[in-house]
Amino acid sequence: MAKAPLKAISPLNGYRKSFGKTKLEEVSGLSIVSLAIPQRGKTKLSDALKTAFGVAVPAPGKTLSMTSESGLLIGLQSDLVFALFTKDMPDPVGFVGGKIGDTAYLTRQSDGWCALRLSGPLTFGALERLSQVDLSPKSFPVGAVARTAMEHLNVIAIREDKEAFLLLSASSSAPSFLHAVETSVQYVL
Amino acid sequence: MKAHRISGGLIDRTKPLTFSFNHERYQGFEGDTLASALVANGIKLVGRSFKYHRPRGIFSAGSEEPNALFQIGHEAHQEPNCRGTVTELYDGLEATSQNHLGFLSHDLLAVNDLLSPFLSAGFYYKTFMWPKSFWEKLYEPVIRSAAGLGALSKRPDPDVYDKGYLHCDLLVIGAGPAGLWAAVNAARAGAQVIIADEDFLPGGRLNSERLEVDGMPGAAWASKIAEELQAQDNVRFMTRTTVFGTYDHGIYGALERKTDHLLDSGGKPRQVLWRIYSKRSLLCTGAIERPIAFGNNDRPGIMLAGAARTYLNRYAAVPGQSVAVFTNNDDGWQTAFDFAEAGIEVKAVIDTRSDCRKIAPEGAMPFYGDQVIDTKGRKGVNLSLLKSGAGVECDFLAVSGGWNPALHLTCHQRGKPQWNDAINAFIPSSDLPRGMSVAGAANGYLTLAAALEEANRVALSATEDLGFKPKPTPVPTASDEAYEGAPFWYVADSKSRAFVDLQNDVTSKDIALAHQEGFRSVEHLKRYTTMGMATDQGKTSNILGLAISAHYTGKTIPETGTTIFRPPYTPVPIGAFAGRSRGKDFRPARLTPSHQWASKNGASFVETGLWLRAEWYVKPGEKGWRDSVDREAKAVREGVGICDVTTLGKIDIQGRNAGTFLDKVYTNTFSTLAVGKVRYGLMLREDGHAMDDGTTARLGETHFVMTTTTANAVLVYRHLEFCRQCLFPDLDVHLISTTEEWAQFAVAGPKSRALLEKIADNPADLSNEAFPFMACGEIAICGGLNARLFRISFSGELAYEIAVPRRYGHALFDRLIKDGKAFGAVPYGTEALNVLRIEKGHATANEICGQVGAQALGLGKMLSSKKDFIGKTLGKRPGIAETDLRLAGFRPLDRNRILTAGAHFISNGQPVSLENDEGWMTSVAYSPGLGYSIGLGFIKNGDERVGEIVTAFDAVRDNSMDVEIVSPHFVDPEGERLRG
Repeated sequence: MAKAPLKAISPLNGYRKSFGKTKLEEVSGLSIVSLAIPQRGKTKLSDALKTAFGVAVPAPGKTLSMTSESGLLIGLQSDLVFALFTKDMPDPVGFVGGKIGDTAYLTRQSDGWCALRLSGPLTFGALERLSQVDLSPKSFPVGAVARTAMEHLNVIAIREDKEAFLLLSASSSAPSFLHAVETSVQYVL
Repeated sequence: MKAHRISGGLIDRTKPLTFSFNHERYQGFEGDTLASALVANGIKLVGRSFKYHRPRGIFSAGSEEPNALFQIGHEAHQEPNCRGTVTELYDGLEATSQNHLGFLSHDLLAVNDLLSPFLSAGFYYKTFMWPKSFWEKLYEPVIRSAAGLGALSKRPDPDVYDKGYLHCDLLVIGAGPAGLWAAVNAARAGAQVIIADEDFLPGGRLNSERLEVDGMPGAAWASKIAEELQAQDNVRFMTRTTVFGTYDHGIYGALERKTDHLLDSGGKPRQVLWRIYSKRSLLCTGAIERPIAFGNNDRPGIMLAGAARTYLNRYAAVPGQSVAVFTNNDDGWQTAFDFAEAGIEVKAVIDTRSDCRKIAPEGAMPFYGDQVIDTKGRKGVNLSLLKSGAGVECDFLAVSGGWNPALHLTCHQRGKPQWNDAINAFIPSSDLPRGMSVAGAANGYLTLAAALEEANRVALSATEDLGFKPKPTPVPTASDEAYEGAPFWYVADSKSRAFVDLQNDVTSKDIALAHQEGFRSVEHLKRYTTMGMATDQGKTSNILGLAISAHYTGKTIPETGTTIFRPPYTPVPIGAFAGRSRGKDFRPARLTPSHQWASKNGASFVETGLWLRAEWYVKPGEKGWRDSVDREAKAVREGVGICDVTTLGKIDIQGRNAGTFLDKVYTNTFSTLAVGKVRYGLMLREDGHAMDDGTTARLGETHFVMTTTTANAVLVYRHLEFCRQCLFPDLDVHLISTTEEWAQFAVAGPKSRALLEKIADNPADLSNEAFPFMACGEIAICGGLNARLFRISFSGELAYEIAVPRRYGHALFDRLIKDGKAFGAVPYGTEALNVLRIEKGHATANEICGQVGAQALGLGKMLSSKKDFIGKTLGKRPGIAETDLRLAGFRPLDRNRILTAGAHFISNGQPVSLENDEGWMTSVAYSPGLGYSIGLGFIKNGDERVGEIVTAFDAVRDNSMDVEIVSPHFVDPEGERLRG
């Protein structure tokens, strides 16, 4: 007899809240794979990514939108890229591996991160209470990404739009992370 | 009675505000400070002095205020030592005076003033010496209650605070004429500008003077420029913000008072502590007026001359009805002119310069080459006595000794101010913090036209330096006001006490005494007399004190030197530094995937680093934690237990050279490990001491997963990154943490195999033959979920660790417990985990403590002789490699006694001494299986002394006892269970 499947839960149980015109919401259903670039293998990986997703390896601090999938390639360091897909995949490593072969070392990261999207007019004001990074549009335009710390938590911050950021932080401390961001928004409301 | 509030000023008379001072209600207006509102209500006596409890009034109009300190608010909100001169008035403000016993007007501790001959500088260093025991019990409590600057509520601060980070091309500190003009120039050129000012109204001295800029009143010009700046997207205009410190790399600390001017903060932060990252900074902090020291110069009604103009011109508040001015410079005269212009009687202008030829306002008597040597009036000045013998009846005496540039922030990186004879003051040296420029009065340009000219030049330079191309703009037209003066610091002929530092009651005689007693360097002078300490940090007193000290040493002021300034420029509440980091928000919490399940099922949690882990699960009827832990440990030995071990560090290691890399960081070999196998590894620090241990599984030819201890997860990851990037950059190896990705549970006990087979999708062959001890692989469970399975054991039982994507962790834990009911499955926490591993003799952080090498742990055989590894060379040192310490087990001779960790071992019959110390107990637990307390520890030659009785000496807990040395493996020493 087939066994009952396990029920998945997201780190913040689908949190969503509005503060005037500013919204803070958990983004669930993402699939994330880390791509470690083999030594002297960047060109090969870039070619494979262009074929698979229409974009090359992004420079650190930059994101590139895939053309063949709904998702981003996120340049985190000189030998590390994240592929972030906006759909839930049971085996994202298998999916990416099927597309690019052994041109990168792949590691599943989908469950390691809690994702929050902060959007609206209070976004910048709330984030300047949290991050040491200069997130002003001039220094941090749409498509930029940075690793930063917010209230002692590691965070990957991606500017999705003029007033919208996607923030990734560790799943285990998701409630603390949400509390930090929510508090900031309330303080600048 | 004449009015204390006249027409004009920059207050909003359409918005009256009610406030209280010492429980009496008064009225002020929006735009007032507490000090200006008190002046406008005719209040002169506002507090008592620190040591002598002398009556004191408002002395200045800015953050340099030494006297007018208040307690603001009530109950838990109460804050002491608030300077009324910078406390913005709001409706409902409650202020009380400080530092008196009984009424302010009849302070019982004013008796100190009569005792002043005995209370000179340093008196407490020389008195209260005997009997010794009286110091803490009597003298100190009495002194503390008599002295001090206000009182805390002694309740938790109910306000909230926050912090934040700002970035700019140019930080302009100060929004006076120089700051405003510099900022607007930089902003027009396109630079990102932050301009900050501690006042709530931009304009600086322009708001206090009757000067004109570009043909309009100075305050109106300031308002126009401020409006232009506030309208710019590239400008952040921060009023109520004090830049209090200069730090490395263009970083500044600033305190923004967000809601201090409101009765109710509405739950918003009261203050925000900003860290400002700037590419360039421009200090435009203006100047601070200094007084002249003369006899009884501290009476209420004696005020700095520039401050008097501030109250008159900005606040339309009249501090006195019959005014005298005592000055050594032309600027002091302006006060006489302004008061006369306002229709207030000016009695006299006393100028120390005999060659002064300024013409006094009509009705005022000029005294050239004269000095005020004393004043009269207990609670307010009413008579000034002059050296010439004349007496001036006045209820207000304005004093000006010249102006000192407010250069404090130039000193925060050890910059030493330099003396300028032209203005008789210190100015910033060229040794400025990197990226900083100084303009205006802060740089010694004390007049308006010169300050604007200088600001224009410096702003242009800084903006061009930043890569912008500013358009030349005509400097606003303004005139240079008269400011010439002759140095004059104190009235030597005064017989009465002349106060140098009003806040600390330091007199000119105290400085003489310090000199007489050998405290002649400025640093010693400051500490012996306490001059320049406390909330005002000597902003009005330092130069005066130096000048008097210079007189006694026979040196010039520059030869005498100056103390330099440290952050903060003005006091910053500790709460602002703490920000949100209070209570449960002090640090974040990490929760395990089973946390929710554990919370609902009786778990007690323990903090392990940031993690909250279940330490045990309480069942109904259990009377104490031992009941729960004993039950859980026994259940694992007899059936099966489930423990959340997600907290163990998990590091994904991939690359062509991953095996080689592991050979270098572990003492034993991993490159030969077969795919689908797990190996226990020991890691040393470079110095040869054991660093961490754990298992590493090989998932593929180029793919390993390392497990670390919970405590060392970050440390090991950082170490591996250092090895990868710095020591072995040629290896193709890549790391990423997967601690967060996988929910991992230990399934331990003789029934663990049966339980796993039950949740497996297909008939899973987990037999010893198919999946032996130290095997790993994937297994499909619960309807198609791929899990990672490792056959490893920390408990010593047949055991597995199963890992699933974190999102399924909660459900899997629940499923294991439910499906495990038939096998007696229980959840177990960290305490039972500890009991089980001590019974098995497994080391953890208590043993891998940074003090021992592999040999002491009994793991010497893991040091490979066939390869190099980190720690190999230094691990051969005698203290590590040839140590005779060995990990051993211990049990009390009297089985009813409870062992304690930390006890030291002494051979039986030997006296307790360091020489006889043979080792220490590292871990203890009560073994429910054995029925007595057991322990692990290091003892000399422990492996050869099994059966010997030694003393476990625990002086800290007074729990010494005889213990027997036994094998560290209390349970299943042959390992049959875990291989079963």
